[in-house]
Amino acid sequence: MRNFTSLLFSGGLAFLLLVLASQLPFGNPVMLLGGEIIQAAPDEVGTANLVAAVLLAYRGIDTLGELAILFTATAAVGLILGRAHASKAVHQDKDSGFITTRGSDLMMPLLIIVGFYIIFYGHLTPGGGFQGGVILAIAFFLPVLTRPGSKVDHGMITIIEGLAGAGFIMIGLWAMLYGKPFLQPFFDTFLGNSTLGSLWSAGTLPLLYLAVGLKVGAELAGLLVTIAEAPAVAEATAHTTEAQAVSETAKVEYK
Amino acid sequence: MDNIILVVILPLLAAFLMPVMARTSEVLARVTGLSVLFVSIVIILSVWGTVDKQAVSFAIGGYRPPLGIVFYIDQLSLLFALAIPVMVLLFWPWNKVTHIREYSLLMLLTASASGLVLSGDLFNIYVFYELLAVASYGLVAVQGRSGQKSEGAALAASLRYLILGTVGSVMMLIGIAIIYTQVGTLNLAHLSLLAPEKLNNVAGLSAFALILIGVGVKAELFPVNSWVPEVYGAVSTRLSALMAGLLSKLAVIVIIRLLVLLFPQPEALQLMAILGMLGVITGELVAWRSKDMIRMLSFSSIGQLGLVFVAFSIPGDIGLMAGFAVALHHLLVKPALFMLAGGWSGPLKNLSGVAKQSPYIAALFVLLIMSLLGVPPLPGFWAKLLIVMNLASQSAPVYSFALAFVLIATVIEAAYLYRVVMILYKQPQPDREPQQSRQKNHKFADLSIASAVAVILVVVVLQIQPMEKKLTSMAQQTGDRQHYINTVFSKLNLTDLKSQSQERQHLVEEKEVQGSK
Repeated sequence: MRNFTSLLFSGGLAFLLLVLASQLPFGNPVMLLGGEIIQAAPDEVGTANLVAAVLLAYRGIDTLGELAILFTATAAVGLILGRAHASKAVHQDKDSGFITTRGSDLMMPLLIIVGFYIIFYGHLTPGGGFQGGVILAIAFFLPVLTRPGSKVDHGMITIIEGLAGAGFIMIGLWAMLYGKPFLQPFFDTFLGNSTLGSLWSAGTLPLLYLAVGLKVGAELAGLLVTIAEAPAVAEATAHTTEAQAVSETAKVEYK
Repeated sequence: MDNIILVVILPLLAAFLMPVMARTSEVLARVTGLSVLFVSIVIILSVWGTVDKQAVSFAIGGYRPPLGIVFYIDQLSLLFALAIPVMVLLFWPWNKVTHIREYSLLMLLTASASGLVLSGDLFNIYVFYELLAVASYGLVAVQGRSGQKSEGAALAASLRYLILGTVGSVMMLIGIAIIYTQVGTLNLAHLSLLAPEKLNNVAGLSAFALILIGVGVKAELFPVNSWVPEVYGAVSTRLSALMAGLLSKLAVIVIIRLLVLLFPQPEALQLMAILGMLGVITGELVAWRSKDMIRMLSFSSIGQLGLVFVAFSIPGDIGLMAGFAVALHHLLVKPALFMLAGGWSGPLKNLSGVAKQSPYIAALFVLLIMSLLGVPPLPGFWAKLLIVMNLASQSAPVYSFALAFVLIATVIEAAYLYRVVMILYKQPQPDREPQQSRQKNHKFADLSIASAVAVILVVVVLQIQPMEKKLTSMAQQTGDRQHYINTVFSKLNLTDLKSQSQERQHLVEEKEVQGSK
């Protein structure tokens, strides 16, 4: 019965969305703001990459919210898995062999350079904090993959993610200190507004992107490491069976 | 006025910094969290009353409205922006075992809730809603882990809550996407300006239905509320008080804002009325059957939220006013009841004769449930009266059904609440004595919250006319679409915005004509 209702529901939803999609004017989106932003952004924000202008300037608070969502998810996962891990003994796994360990050692600096390059040029070329941050996270997660026994400094990760997030907000509050609205990138008072397309342009936007990149990198690395260090699968299944047993008894009681 | 943004920003800043601070000093981190809440309250109080006549909006980053994101402050958003830090402060976990990241989650909850009520941009609302949702999943799962209740049940409950909530978020996102494909903007005022011509169709209605169901997960709306009893049964009473009292109302506020601004069609209201009355009747029926205090309160909360939806579905300002009255009443009473029920967990029949042991608590409980039921002259009565009178004056058949459902539900509610009172005041039987002594004692803080709510209820009874005036002006301001548009676009020419959209439409049509040639 339950399966049937959910099938009916998802079928109905899919049908509704198909009908709606078939009525859309494909190729001619009704966007009202795109044109205006394309015209105004180079003067107002000063980024060569207009996506960065929308992401950090016009909709900066959305980006802050998305950073916070990532932070929340990481904090919750860390809380749930972290405690189980604290009571666990050391890992017994060995290195994954000569070729992979040396390969990852070679890759790591390259990945860090690429990650920072993508972050720093985010306001000029496609890319930016989120993409660069993910590359940074991979750079720091690779050694954990190849040497499962190695220790990771969780404290350092916590500090980086906390300070990077705080940095994003501080840059926004700094604008308020000068009597401007929150999160307005400044031009005149700081970092001078030089020519469009140069590395030092767009006011404080590159700094915001750096904060985003560091935060995303630290958070994703922390998340991956927490999951990798989580107790073995056997214990996890024990948990699920216990949960199932309890929910079964709850069902019986309910009946 | 621009300082209001700090209500969203400072808790976020505290949430990011608290884990870092805790590495040097746990105490410092906790004090930071608490002081941020106090600062938020002070900021809101400093602008209290300035938006009674004219709402205010400001653009974040200084980018003019349709391009940038605006925050919109009127009586409704200011009231909730005050209620959020106050309630988080009241239900702050004061013990020493709570992990610092849990406080951090609580600060994220505060920030996102404030952002949700203040934001004037559709996608920004989605971002804050998602943040609120993720923070609450985290809190529920963590509570289950550290709480005194069975760990497995709590994890299972939080997983189910997570799945249902995520499906809801996705549906809300699809709804927003449909609106964006129809209108091409995300600013609420701009959308509202164009809605009568662009969203008054099937696509608009289906977008509303998707958003209603999606946001309804948090608002305990009828078909998507199966998580409620499980989660409230598994987490601490403080968190369930916060979730049933505050978070559900925030979701309702989001729906009401969108309903007033974007969806003028009467079908939208009727859809809400139908789901609301199904919620009322199912919630109260299951509450009648349940044999455990917390479960009973959870299902009664579903019923009350259904009543809120029925009230808001009455067209016009009077419906908004009735809705605010019920919602605010529930916001006060339900957390207080959860606080009292915290010491009375376990089957209902174990409570027989509790009134002899703790007459004050029992009396408080009876006062609160009488208000919940709507016994005159308590505030709950006036709220329910407003709903019943206005439902009766509507001509559409759906409202007659709603009226019947609400009255039947009230009878059921009276039946089970009376049963609880009878159990509480029963003569204790001698052989039950050892069982009663097992009951946990109420904490002083929990009791004082409940007492404070009771005092507020009495004060409201005495001040019923000023309250009514305040609610009426709030409902008028919320229901005034033109006021919203004018406030946000105060410096712009409205006809420009409209003609721009029309030009765009012509362009699209021309292209289509060329394409067909």
